[in-house]
Amino acid sequence: MKGENMCAYNKTIGLDKSNSGQESIVLSIPANPEYVSIVRMTASVIANSIGFDFEEIEDIKVAVSEACNNVVVHSKGLDNFEITFIKEKEKIGIEVKDNGAGFNFSDYSLPNLQNPADHGLGIFVIKSLMDRVEVKSSKDKGTEIKMYKNLL
Amino acid sequence: MSLSIEKKYRQDLNVWNVKISGEVDIYTSDKMKETLNEMVEEKNTEIQIDCTNLSYIDSSGLGVLIGVLKKLKEEKNNLVILNARSNIVKLLSITGLDKVFILREN
Repeated sequence: MKGENMCAYNKTIGLDKSNSGQESIVLSIPANPEYVSIVRMTASVIANSIGFDFEEIEDIKVAVSEACNNVVVHSKGLDNFEITFIKEKEKIGIEVKDNGAGFNFSDYSLPNLQNPADHGLGIFVIKSLMDRVEVKSSKDKGTEIKMYKNLL
Repeated sequence: MSLSIEKKYRQDLNVWNVKISGEVDIYTSDKMKETLNEMVEEKNTEIQIDCTNLSYIDSSGLGVLIGVLKKLKEEKNNLVILNARSNIVKLLSITGLDKVFILREN
């Protein structure tokens, strides 16, 4: 791992404990495929500390990676993007936000599962694995994907 | 965790045996794509992928497998996924790919 990137990572990891019982952990990583595994490992540790079981943790890891993959693929030339983990008593929230070009979400359609394409599965997978997903994207303002999963 | 791929052509069965270990994500999927495409170019025949030690795959890896299957289908060959862990079987069934690839335990 490059020294400068790791430094940025250390500087921006922070813990904010508010009165609502929510804690948030913020990561900032380069929009580079190499660093998506850092987000996945972080998600795994946080989900485990909330009490999610192995299968749920695997689902959360896939969902957050899919959101990061979208950023990495759609934000060529973007330096860093942020991932915020919101830790609650029986719930995890993850927000993935970039300042890239954005994409027109109304153009998004469900993948054709009878004749699968080799791309376009990401959002569909996130929606299938998480309890609630919100996607906000507008041209030039970037994309924000928020996802939540409840402890059963 | 990184990705390692072992491949072997079984002449007696006319099958490619592949063992994938580790994680296939957006970073490592290129390596898998390269290896599988080389194999198909060398010999377009059934590919059996042993996923016993595959701990993680997401849509970037599934996209590679779909691309490879399309090439195999040109010669009416299949892609067989062996011993996938439950989290991976779940992902394959969500995406409908359990009907596209052949899933098997051995």
